[in-house]
Amino acid sequence: MRVELTEMLWFEQHVVSLSELAELTGLPAGMLEELVSAGAIEPIDAASAEPRFGAAALSAARHASRLREDFDLDAQALSLVLGLLERIDGLEQQLRSLRARLPGRNR
Amino acid sequence: MKYKDYYAVLGLERGASEDDIKKAYRRLARKYHPDVSKEADAEERFKEVAEAYQTLKDADKRAAYDQLGAHQPGQDFQPPPDWQAQWEPSAGDAFSSEGLDLSDLLDRLRGGRGRGRGGARMSMPGQDYEIAVPITIADAYNGTEIDLDLNMPEYDAQGQLRRVPHAFKARIPKGATDGQRLRVPGKGGKGFNGGRNGDLYLNITLRPHALFRANGHDLYLDLPLAPWEAVLGTSVEVPTPGGPVRLKVPPATQASQHLRLPRRGLPTPKGEHGDLYAVVLIVVPSVISDSERALYRQLAETSAFVPRAHFSEEGSYAS
Repeated sequence: MRVELTEMLWFEQHVVSLSELAELTGLPAGMLEELVSAGAIEPIDAASAEPRFGAAALSAARHASRLREDFDLDAQALSLVLGLLERIDGLEQQLRSLRARLPGRNR
Repeated sequence: MKYKDYYAVLGLERGASEDDIKKAYRRLARKYHPDVSKEADAEERFKEVAEAYQTLKDADKRAAYDQLGAHQPGQDFQPPPDWQAQWEPSAGDAFSSEGLDLSDLLDRLRGGRGRGRGGARMSMPGQDYEIAVPITIADAYNGTEIDLDLNMPEYDAQGQLRRVPHAFKARIPKGATDGQRLRVPGKGGKGFNGGRNGDLYLNITLRPHALFRANGHDLYLDLPLAPWEAVLGTSVEVPTPGGPVRLKVPPATQASQHLRLPRRGLPTPKGEHGDLYAVVLIVVPSVISDSERALYRQLAETSAFVPRAHFSEEGSYAS
């Protein structure tokens, strides 16, 4: 069976509501709200009454969903872990960028 | 069906207590969870650990598993005939372990007894799938097609898990770079009883390239120059993913300087382009002729250039 894929979405192009985010990740909406109010998951438009979420939030919420399932973590522990993961991501990004700039790394 | 030794995976004896099982799982999950671990085979190891824990933490599943007897890991085995009668009576004649692995079999057992996920008449969302897709810089530049061959557990019409092969082509559009993700809606495991289909997530990684290093959508390329090229300036042909272009090297170009070639990097999903940076290296010949040596000597005597002037500036020496 061969099926041609038509719809592929870059993460960057995602904009979803809180309930869509809950559906995509399997996290309960109440827990998502807690993570948002703790600042662990950030909407694109923080001021809006109906917050919308982008790629970074989707990625963080997927992490949170897996970690919650596999480690039995509550919202507070999750927001701590997400914060640390974000910092590691940032540091790895810096490292990649520095490595790319350094001459002679391909050999 | 291949036997898996769930106790050995968790590093436990067969008689381990519930508490030991939980502790062993926590310790291994902390070490191998793909979201927090940097171990090379974290994802594979964690899957094994999680599968072992899912079975052993549940008293019924554990009892059913124990009754399969102990075999060598990887050894082919069939559940004994009375095992099915005891643990999966509802499966009746339809029972077939074909195409199932051990964890599917144990999951069915829950379904067959009308409890838990599969057995209830509630709808179940399909499983999400996440896979790593390594591509080349040329693939990222031009877009590419990849063949995916996935083997996903899915619920059939009876709510039983089966392993279903899915083969399809996926088009990776232009705009990919290291660490970027694609979501393919509805291409994960099928939902059961009206549950939505799972999604497929593709994590793009770039394979190392002999010339280019990627940072986001920018590319870096080492540009070796002879000393006289760096001093006098020159025009050189440099490779880019879109084909060679000429780059003007201005006079007095310094080593490690970055010469920017705008929009010659990787395309972005929005249709823009990153830049390409040529990182200047000044290289010298290891073997030179007598006449070259004479010229270098002449240059050394003529030049007033002091490359280490800052060494003698104030504060450079401890005093």
